[in-house]
Amino acid sequence: MARSKLIKERVPTPEVPVEERVKSFVEVNLGYDFASAVKEAERCIQCPPEYAPCIKGCPVHINIPGFIKALRENSENPDEAVKNALRVIWNDNTLPAVTGRVCPQEEQCEAPCVMGKVGDPINIGKLERFVADYARKHGIDEELLKEFISEENGIKGKVAVVGSGPAGLTCAGELAKMGYKVTIFEALHKPGGVLIYGIPEFRLPKEILDKEIAKLHELGVEIKLDHIVGKTVTLEELLEEYDAVFIGTGAGTPKLLNIPGILLDRIYTANEFLTRINLMKAYKFPEYDEPISIGKKTIVIGAGNTAMDAARSALRMGSEVTIAYRRGREDMTARIEEIKHAEEEGVKFEFFLNPVEFIGDENGKVKAVKFEKMRPLEERDAKGKRKIVGTGEYITLEADTVIIAIGLEPNKIISEEATGLKTNPDGTLVVDENLMTSIPGVFAGGDAIRGEATVILAMGDGKKAAKAIDEYIQKKRLPA
Amino acid sequence: MYEILEKREIAANNVLYKIHAPHIARKVQPGQFVVVRAFENGERIPLTPVMWDAEEGWITLVTFIRGRTTLRMNMELQEGDKILNIAGPLGNPAPMKKFGKILAIGMITGIVEVYPIAKAWQEIGNEVITLHIVPEPMIILKEDLEKAVSKHIVESFPLKEGMGMPEIFKELVTRGQAKVRELIEKEKPDLVFMVGPARGQKAIFDVVKEYGIPMEVDLHPIMVDGTGMCGACRVTVGGEVKFACVDGPSFNAYEVNWEELIARSEFYADLEKKALEDYLTKLQQGGAQ
Ligand SMILES: Cc1cc2nc3c(=O)[nH]c(=O)nc-3n(C[C@H](O)[C@H](O)[C@H](O)COP(=O)(O)OP(=O)(O)OC[C@H]3O[C@@H](n4cnc5c(N)ncnc54)[C@H](O)[C@@H]3O)c2cc1C
Ligand SMILES: Cc1cc2nc3c(=O)[nH]c(=O)nc-3n(C[C@H](O)[C@H](O)[C@H](O)COP(=O)(O)OP(=O)(O)OC[C@H]3O[C@@H](n4cnc5c(N)ncnc54)[C@H](O)[C@@H]3O)c2cc1C
Ligand code: SF4
Ligand code: FES
Repeated sequence: MARSKLIKERVPTPEVPVEERVKSFVEVNLGYDFASAVKEAERCIQCPPEYAPCIKGCPVHINIPGFIKALRENSENPDEAVKNALRVIWNDNTLPAVTGRVCPQEEQCEAPCVMGKVGDPINIGKLERFVADYARKHGIDEELLKEFISEENGIKGKVAVVGSGPAGLTCAGELAKMGYKVTIFEALHKPGGVLIYGIPEFRLPKEILDKEIAKLHELGVEIKLDHIVGKTVTLEELLEEYDAVFIGTGAGTPKLLNIPGILLDRIYTANEFLTRINLMKAYKFPEYDEPISIGKKTIVIGAGNTAMDAARSALRMGSEVTIAYRRGREDMTARIEEIKHAEEEGVKFEFFLNPVEFIGDENGKVKAVKFEKMRPLEERDAKGKRKIVGTGEYITLEADTVIIAIGLEPNKIISEEATGLKTNPDGTLVVDENLMTSIPGVFAGGDAIRGEATVILAMGDGKKAAKAIDEYIQKKRLPA
Repeated sequence: MYEILEKREIAANNVLYKIHAPHIARKVQPGQFVVVRAFENGERIPLTPVMWDAEEGWITLVTFIRGRTTLRMNMELQEGDKILNIAGPLGNPAPMKKFGKILAIGMITGIVEVYPIAKAWQEIGNEVITLHIVPEPMIILKEDLEKAVSKHIVESFPLKEGMGMPEIFKELVTRGQAKVRELIEKEKPDLVFMVGPARGQKAIFDVVKEYGIPMEVDLHPIMVDGTGMCGACRVTVGGEVKFACVDGPSFNAYEVNWEELIARSEFYADLEKKALEDYLTKLQQGGAQ
């Protein structure tokens, strides 16, 4: 094959114009069509899989040049091209429509992409998303699914999965493909974890998520909603009925600021705010029953994905929004694409401000936030972030709504009930190199063992645990 | 989905639902609650199983028609219909200990939450006196409580023409306070327990406090998930922020920051009113059955 000239620039993806999108919760990025996807695919120089740095950069090691090749090999026959590409992706990742949208590719697969040294890295995330979206729209994923359905479903054993976030969904899918009968226990009334209650429609349409989850039903996975493990059923009871258990309960408990005024009216945790909006559709109130009360001036505290999602949602509810962060611009942990979107949409940013007090009016509603101004030091903390110190100077910003997005920790319902389950001081579960907890036969992964992390890491854990569970059950079956 | 086996208006504005929910009936203990979502576009509201049968797999819930969701449930759900989601049991069970003599108070529909706890306390050897402070047309569970505990007292009054919520509430508080004072003097309880609206709980606590008797309250902050992941239900107890759905719902009345709780429980007053009005308009236009 003759080497064609390197194309340095990415084929762009269209986005809904700012003026239009700030008025609704429609998805911002519209993604590629087939022609532009093939064009972008052709920029890839096809590093050999053994060396391809993009594969190493992907936490679940998708064969990226492989699926890209499949796309361009059949540029005359889109259906065939997509089917082959999807088959390659599914080998390592069963939720590509989700990960293609929410992964921080700039830190993962796209960061080491060799094309990035001479121009833009290949737009791997958007290509992955294209494959998944096209397949879903054209019924290709259903055809392909048949290849993955196990003949022996339920024969190899029974596994209970606790939590239906990306970790639990992935673990369940992998086990079903291996021939296990899997039952997921989920506390809420809809499956998906953060994907359903945290990440808003404008980044991840819920219709797409529902379809991704529906694939699991076809693989034979049962989902029991309204079941809180530790309350509705105990871990011990699960162990009596199932050969093994996987815990993927995430890190869903919000941290609160321990400063005066925290219980004032209109101070929300990002989780409450986002749950009302995403899961309960409060933005459609009163068509939906769930209420939400937002003022004209919102301050969001924090600068992770959660803060961006909350800020952009508040903006769409008609509020003016400022993000206040105690560190600097370059320390923000949110995805670059989302920070960019937030800025375009008119979210304001204030850096080096640490809240010290919420000030209320005579009715108990918040009216302002008092901050201490911070200053960065050269020294770095354990996570490699610059340390900051207070300057002793203060500033007060007006706000009639405050959303706190300073982090989450694991929910304690299971660990409080199952006392044999060892936890670290931060509430995460202790696991060994096979992701097995201190109770034999009980495995765990995702945010439940890492604290707040990413979707793809949770999925990677789910997959690794599925393998370990299979080995554990097979070994148990062998006569001693 | 959970079938409604029986539905009855047991008193003015008080509706009983007997529901097939084996996963709850098998596990629930006095003091615990469930979160119910009745409609596809509905909200999640916390309610308390009053009675249950683990073998037959049913629970009963009693709702006080208070706003849009409880009204909608009454208008749109009939026997044989299904409730979409019931999650639980949630919260901590009430401590099953021998306290001695207990005065357990329920204001209006709060008595439904008192019932299972008072009954269980009596069964393990406490002497339980229950007091129901309520307008006459809303008296419920009278025979059941008379059977379950040592003594059941109803402090009620008739509703007069033109009496609005503020007047009713004032009557509940004045009568309630006087009756509780009388009972404390006469019975000298070792523990007082109360369920009711936050303002009512605070009013009764003011009386109990004078006598320095230990008092427990089941708190009712606004809840969304009921599993500890949103913090909507946070309350300050003993100077610390607690989540009522996982750390409660029962707390020591002496440690509760009452002003904050009362303010927070009235957050959504405007929107609740809007939701209700919106629904009532729809009803008038024949938009909902
Ligand atoms: C607002 C927000 C935005 C984010 N944006 C991104 C992003 O853009 N990219 C990215 O990679 N990551 C993002 N993250 C992080 C990512 O969502 C998480 O790392 C990931 O969801 C963790 O997956 P999980 O399966 O471990 O847990 P979760 O997704 O938290 O799912 C856990 C599930 O378990 C259920 N559960 C909990 N306890 C019990 C119990 N006792 N019994 C039964 N069920 C239980 C919960 O209801 C929940 O459904 C974001 C997080 C938030 C909050
Ligand atoms: C642990 C617990 C147990 C409860 N048990 C019962 C019971 O057995 N029977 C009963 O009639 N009521 C009970 N309640 C109160 C019940 O949840 C509210 O009456 C109900 O939410 C009102 O809904 P609505 O839409 O009809 O009214 P609205 O006043 O319109 O309520 C709208 C919103 O406000 C929230 N809300 C309003 N008031 C309360 C409140 N007091 N507590 C919690 N959330 C509130 C609702 O969750 C909802 O989001 C309980 C509350 C808690 C916290
Ligand atoms: S590193 Fe970049 S150019 Fe190389 S195979 Fe991966 S995507 Fe293609
Ligand atoms: S209701 Fe959400 S934390 Fe208690």
